[in-house]
Amino acid sequence: MRLQHYERLLKLSRRDVLKGAAGAAALSAAGGLTGLSTSARAQSDLRTQMLQIPGVGKGQPTDADWQQVGELCLGPTKANVQQGEFAGVELSFMGLNNQNLHNLLFRGFLKPWEAYTGAKITWIDLAQADYNPRLQQSIATGTVDFDILEMGAPLEGDVCGKGLASEMPDWVKTQIEMDDYVGYLKPPVGTWDGKTYRISIDGDCHTFNYRTDVFSDAELAKQWAAEGGQGEWAVPKTWQQVQAVTKFLKGKKLNGQDLYGYLDPPKGWGGFGFYFLGSRATAYAKHPDDKAWLFDVDTMKPRVNNPAWVRAIQDVIDALPFEPADQLNADPGTTGFQQFLAGTGSMLSWWGDIGSNAKTNDSSVIGDVCGFDILPGSDDVYNPKTGQWDKLQSGPNYAPNMAYIGWGIYVMSRVDSDAKKQKAAWSAAAHLGGKDISLWMAAYPSGFQPYRQSHFNIPEWVAAGYDEAFITDYLKSESDSYNHPNAAIEPRIPGIFQYYSVAEDELAKIFAGGSDAQTGADRIAAAWEKITEQIGRENQIKLYKASLGL
Amino acid sequence: MQGSSPVTNAQDFPVASENWWTGRRTLGQALIILGSIGLAAIVLLQLLDAMGATSLGFTNWRPSLYAYLAWAICLGAGQILIRGEAGHRAVFLLPALLFTIVMVIFPTFFGLYIAFTDWNLSSLSGRQFSGLDNLRAMLSDPYYWNAIRNMTYYVVAVFVQYAIAFGLALLLNADIRARKFFRVAFLLPFMLSPVAVSWMIGKSLMEFRFGPAATLARHLGWDSPAFFTTPWIARLSIMAMDAWVWIPFIMILLLAGLQALPKEISDAAKVDGASPWQSFWQITFPLMLPVSVTAIVLKIIFQLKLADIVINVTAGGPGGATDTVSSFIFREYRDRSNVGYGTMLAEVYLVIIIIFVMLMLHFAGRFMRKVT
Repeated sequence: MRLQHYERLLKLSRRDVLKGAAGAAALSAAGGLTGLSTSARAQSDLRTQMLQIPGVGKGQPTDADWQQVGELCLGPTKANVQQGEFAGVELSFMGLNNQNLHNLLFRGFLKPWEAYTGAKITWIDLAQADYNPRLQQSIATGTVDFDILEMGAPLEGDVCGKGLASEMPDWVKTQIEMDDYVGYLKPPVGTWDGKTYRISIDGDCHTFNYRTDVFSDAELAKQWAAEGGQGEWAVPKTWQQVQAVTKFLKGKKLNGQDLYGYLDPPKGWGGFGFYFLGSRATAYAKHPDDKAWLFDVDTMKPRVNNPAWVRAIQDVIDALPFEPADQLNADPGTTGFQQFLAGTGSMLSWWGDIGSNAKTNDSSVIGDVCGFDILPGSDDVYNPKTGQWDKLQSGPNYAPNMAYIGWGIYVMSRVDSDAKKQKAAWSAAAHLGGKDISLWMAAYPSGFQPYRQSHFNIPEWVAAGYDEAFITDYLKSESDSYNHPNAAIEPRIPGIFQYYSVAEDELAKIFAGGSDAQTGADRIAAAWEKITEQIGRENQIKLYKASLGL
Repeated sequence: MQGSSPVTNAQDFPVASENWWTGRRTLGQALIILGSIGLAAIVLLQLLDAMGATSLGFTNWRPSLYAYLAWAICLGAGQILIRGEAGHRAVFLLPALLFTIVMVIFPTFFGLYIAFTDWNLSSLSGRQFSGLDNLRAMLSDPYYWNAIRNMTYYVVAVFVQYAIAFGLALLLNADIRARKFFRVAFLLPFMLSPVAVSWMIGKSLMEFRFGPAATLARHLGWDSPAFFTTPWIARLSIMAMDAWVWIPFIMILLLAGLQALPKEISDAAKVDGASPWQSFWQITFPLMLPVSVTAIVLKIIFQLKLADIVINVTAGGPGGATDTVSSFIFREYRDRSNVGYGTMLAEVYLVIIIIFVMLMLHFAGRFMRKVT
């Protein structure tokens, strides 16, 4: 769970907590009524008990709480490992220390595991900004000095694709109950050439955030009709509607404040800014009959300059004059936190952080007027095979952007030569990726979002003290995105952020008027071709296919 | 003991002393030779291992580093043994020299080698010698040349900074109230990190929605005070922030120069009826030229490394209008892991800076000789 989300919970009243406890009791009773098996009830009891550590409204969890949660969730480990089995084994774990989360939690969770198994873990903590360079340098210079790695899925190409990761043993798959993963985190994500490498501990995707007060305002509805707006005044469901609404809202006011429509982030953000063009493009570019949407699978020929992507770029160019005057210097951090949360703009694509910050961030003024949905669709979708725009019989094409795919735990292949060490490393990783411990991570500050089907059991959240309406709306947008059949999955190929970074430079030029959409897109494609050549085309094709499960 | 008279000692000592010195010299030379052979052997073995000619199982280059350290100790000890007192003096300098070699000179030359390789950290094939490919790519890279063009604008801005700093230095050199307070106050921006300035000024004071500078601009009639969305306004805004940090540095150098000027000359000019303007142009400015040139050269060298403010505030935008060579190289390295090409850009930029500064010093020298 994101830290800000939890801080909102801390503001809940004691009454809310009591309601939560009552809900938990009711849930427990309901369990009895519905005839849960003894083991299922025990697990339910464990989850209820676990979610009371330290308890919503009782301050931010500490290392003691993390250790307590780790201890509670040791059951699956004990089923597979004898006490003291890993005595003398030393493991090195590399991960992040963002916001004093990630590795700091893992330390606490793994202390009971260390005490039980006898293994010892040393830690390499990295700031987010240092993470990619450190990992890339370790790989390139052959100095991998860690046994267990916390890593984002986009970097799998650099690690798994180069044979640096250890294949997951079957007993781990059983222990962590992989079937519980949401749809998009199931294979091929986390797998290469049919082998599984990743234990997911997070889910990531872009969702559509909008202002409910804007789209329910009667005066705006009247003006929309008067100005010939198509259909009812409502939350846009397609990018075509987003564009129309953005143009309509320029110059309008609500409660005396200037209104704006969609917020684009044209300024680069270390490669991450490209995800936001991706969110605009997936509905145009991700055809339901084709898994690929960024490159041609057989040739790695970039699709970024095909009509679908050019249309998305052109949409941004067309929308920018209707967005705030300083929009060209806005990166995603600005659009999310300085604009949308502060009341500027009425539509935004972002990760789940916006939803969790809407009610908790001190600078947020939209806490009670923020709604969530999956990304808008498109009336037509580009078919790269025919070169035509298709209108689907099912209606608009939706393709949620699974941007970044979330964090996972990986074991490095360097432990494979030592069976005891290998089992220890996988056991530690499995402990962190367990089903129950993951619910606690989703519900308390950890840096991770829900990623299992079992995380979307609303009563468990309500029992823990959450506001039902809020958590239902928020989780639904994520769940619907994760499980969407036409979700656009990010290519997990080596150097993916190099592609994004170079595209950002060119996009910034396009948005500043330096070139038209097609010319700029052609330049991006040319730069991507160079990167592909440099990294190795044949290998990229092989890994791209593997990443798509082809 | 009485037999060992000073006279006897005086006769025997040269022989014993000579033997002793010879022994010391031999030992010193042996130490250096031994250390050198050891270093050469370890480096050679590691090179062969790295090239795949042998498989000795080296996992990193630390053995070479340890051999270098051992060689440095042998060299220092050898100097003392061979040269005595002079060797002692050399040992005071050697650590700094050897450190510079290993931390500056070696990386520069190793960087030169890297610059001629195709080395993308994501590439499976690793580092490959690529001849002049990186140089050719650089010559046709519009982003690099755009950054170079921007650097010329930023360098020209140094002269504006210099003019303002000179004015402030004159002001602080005059008899004004609270002069000491102003001297400290004017230095404060220089004490701030440019990263802090980026956030305090670029992202707060100049923020479009709530920034006081934007609010003031609105009051003055600028409807949309967006400081970073049109190329020239964005460039000027970056220059203004850079000036805010660096003008105190130039000012303090000029103030030191002004305080060192002999007061008699300006007093004599006053007696002769020179106006303050004439006094400045005919006396103060020419006398201040050596300090001015030093200040400008130093500032230009700093200016050519401008990156932090740009990276934090505009990321080089809008459309590359504020990009600098350093911020572009930063992106090549950090975001794109393109080590070979990034190193080529950095090495070429180093050469450009060296040539530029040498030419600048040459012409500044000629100019000063002409006017003085």
